[in-house]
Amino acid sequence: MDTYFINRPNLDRLAKSLFKTHKIYAPFKSDENRYYERIRDAGLGDAVLGEIRAVQSIKTFYLPVRTKVAEYFPEKISEKKSRPIAIMGAKSCDLASLKVMDYVFTQDSFKDPFYITQREEGLIISSDCTSYGDSCFCVALGIMPYPTEDFDINLSDIESGYVVEVGSEKGEKIVKEYFKLFQKASLYIEKKNENRTRLKEQLLEHVKNKKIPAKESIQDFFKKKFDSPLWEETAKACVECGACNVICPACHCFVLKDQASDGGFERLRLWDSCLLLSFARVAGGANPRKLLAERLRNRFDKKFNFFPDAIGRFGCTGCGRCSDACAGKIKIDEVLSKLGNA
Amino acid sequence: MTENSYIPIKTKVLDVCEESPTIKTFTLKPEKPIPFKAGQFMEMTVPGIGEAPFTPSSSPHEKGKMEISIMKAGRVTGKIHELKKGDIVGLRGPYGNEYPLSEFEGKEVLLVGGGVGLAPLRALFLALVHEVDKYKGILFCCGSRTPSDIIYKDCVLDKWQKLHKKVKFRVTVDKKDKDWKGKEGLVTTQLDDLKIDLKNSVAIVCGPPIMMKFSTFKLLEIGYREDQVYLSMEKNMSCGIGKCGHCRMGNFYACKDGPVFRYDKISNIHEIWD
Repeated sequence: MDTYFINRPNLDRLAKSLFKTHKIYAPFKSDENRYYERIRDAGLGDAVLGEIRAVQSIKTFYLPVRTKVAEYFPEKISEKKSRPIAIMGAKSCDLASLKVMDYVFTQDSFKDPFYITQREEGLIISSDCTSYGDSCFCVALGIMPYPTEDFDINLSDIESGYVVEVGSEKGEKIVKEYFKLFQKASLYIEKKNENRTRLKEQLLEHVKNKKIPAKESIQDFFKKKFDSPLWEETAKACVECGACNVICPACHCFVLKDQASDGGFERLRLWDSCLLLSFARVAGGANPRKLLAERLRNRFDKKFNFFPDAIGRFGCTGCGRCSDACAGKIKIDEVLSKLGNA
Repeated sequence: MTENSYIPIKTKVLDVCEESPTIKTFTLKPEKPIPFKAGQFMEMTVPGIGEAPFTPSSSPHEKGKMEISIMKAGRVTGKIHELKKGDIVGLRGPYGNEYPLSEFEGKEVLLVGGGVGLAPLRALFLALVHEVDKYKGILFCCGSRTPSDIIYKDCVLDKWQKLHKKVKFRVTVDKKDKDWKGKEGLVTTQLDDLKIDLKNSVAIVCGPPIMMKFSTFKLLEIGYREDQVYLSMEKNMSCGIGKCGHCRMGNFYACKDGPVFRYDKISNIHEIWD
């Protein structure tokens, strides 16, 4: 991987240049949280590229809340070409979710054209975490707090700028095109590695207190605890709002809704939630998961049992967003800890 | 651009046949032919209203059109029941796997169907009859709630019974009326004295969840092994292509790994009977 250095004013220039060809989003701070906002020709401004993940996951860019997936009778192929999206400041936990999403939407016999277009054309300029949140537990699942793959360009925050790693041909093209903005990285690489090691160790210590079972044993613990009262006890706090699904970078379930449109009909794809009673219900009323506890367990089943068998990875990236979003204060790391210890 | 699997094919309703008070059979002609195999399912669109999954009930050897039998059970099926000859609907598919006919060859094939579950079995039955020489025999056990709930009445009670000497029928109703001369009792009662070499037989079950459950248990009780029983699972198959997540059962998606499952593959999965 080629490595460079870019200072903040030059990164700002890069963002302004990319604005001409991309819709750029980067995290901005509001109170104590970070939210993706569109960057326009004014450049990066106060965008926060270090710190921790934004509140939204990057799936909002690849699998928007609401997508028109078909217009029919008459069938219209609306080729409204919009500028591809460039995401700045995506974190390692977000990139890990792409493995799950890519499996669902690109690696099956039926492929999703909307997702694929966005993945092929989009640009990911990720960045290292420089701190961690209380709910973060990525390292417990083997995910580092700094990106190691699946980015086009990665930025590691160093006092005066960023160490730049190039992770793809797309990334390489950008560096070549704007080579004047980049410098040699040699002076900064050691510092970057130090920063990474320090944060990783802090995070490992943070996670140690959570007592999450070793990642190799989580699936087995889940299977053993399938009929445990744990699910009913945990479900007592669940209010079935589906916030955990919505906020999760790896929850991919959706529902199709049809409606009339101008002179025809359209089909929308909308995010759905497996915590809702109607999720698996069929016409006539049969429902394999009538109880909330079954639906809650099902969410863990998908993430810690289904995906390990399907792709050899968890359907969870340890970002902790669902713990933060839960109205009932259900913490995913605590549930995992109970799997192994209760 | 990658092909868009969410777009339905425009399809004309050629005919509507009222099978029972709650079930109608729709003869459909899609703009482009849609070849399918018995057991696979289609997503049928009512324009602007929505989609639902159905398994065609006509012979897969019939080209250019297909029949789908639909019970009025919810929002979309309610709208489907309002459809008339000449109306336009949409079809996507076929999706999922088919009945593995090659595994049935040389065997006595037992079909156990209940209510609208006869629909997929009709397609299978017609496919089996199409090459009847390949099978040792076909026994079709049909259960319905009452005589008026029997679908494909002319066929089940008459025409199909005379099709071939290898083909036998057992028809029962849960509750008879004054005109019913046939058997009364749940379809499982017809499995008691099967004159079949069980070792050389396969059983295919389709019907409402509770009927599937008790028929499967009955088959195991009378000596079928789990790997001789095939089920057509009805789950909430929304996208039909393994993406939307609704129809997952354990490590499988009913839409792409099913809807036909050999029972031994799914017998340890929780929640399959609901």
